[in-house]
Amino acid sequence: MRIDGSCHCGYITFEGEADPEKAGICHCTDCQTSTGSAFRTNVPVPGNAFRMLSGEPAIYVKTTAESGNPRAQAFCPKCGTPIYSTTPGDGPKPSYMVRVGTLRQREQFVPKKQNWFRSAQPWLAALADIPKNAKQG
Amino acid sequence: MRIDGGCHCGFIAYEGEADPETAAICHCTDCQKLSGSAFRTVVPVQDSDFRMTGGKPTIYVKTGDSGNKRQQAFCPQCGSPIFSAAPGDGPKVYMIRVGTIRQRDQFAPKVQVWARSKQHWTNDLAAMRSVEKQP
Repeated sequence: MRIDGSCHCGYITFEGEADPEKAGICHCTDCQTSTGSAFRTNVPVPGNAFRMLSGEPAIYVKTTAESGNPRAQAFCPKCGTPIYSTTPGDGPKPSYMVRVGTLRQREQFVPKKQNWFRSAQPWLAALADIPKNAKQG
Repeated sequence: MRIDGGCHCGFIAYEGEADPETAAICHCTDCQKLSGSAFRTVVPVQDSDFRMTGGKPTIYVKTGDSGNKRQQAFCPQCGSPIFSAAPGDGPKVYMIRVGTIRQRDQFAPKVQVWARSKQHWTNDLAAMRSVEKQP
């Protein structure tokens, strides 16, 4: 389906095509540190189906993957929103892993699988039991 | 308990004291967008108990639902979000992003806020297919 999204401040905007059936969660420790949260939500977008509409993301190449493969992590230099990851270097990319939280259509991208579950935060299994407030505390 | 942590690339580092009983999840739409994920995990640290020991974060100021402005600090080199805080001088509380804390495994959240915008599937993670590493 068609997707479009942006960073929080609006400097970076993009559009593309993604399959909600491919949405996933990553529990790896790189994602926990880089999101500052418990896990990341991603969906792959084929390289020729992704188009940046505005802004130039900052790129950080991380090299800590267990495979040894480097990965380019794009984020907004003004507000810090993470946008996608992809293969480092210039030239066309085969694919972009777009961060679902940035999508206007994020409600339609329910993750279907979880990767790097070996480092998942154990309390996630019982999230429904944690007391909740509709708004702030 | 004592905490220390930092961003992914190592440019930003901090140390401090935080109470695991005050760890929380925020499901607000600002947190979903700014983390690129489903929600954020945070723990408050009083400024007198918090010390930045490395580089200087970039600060982005957002306006919350209340109309209050809020600083969002992140690493300019790798983008890792570090904390949020009220703008200006004076005593303040830093909301540290739990994913950046080295002792993150001890900070299981005790409350969820802004649950009205929660991604409903977050309740069903135990039933979702998983693999130990990468497929």
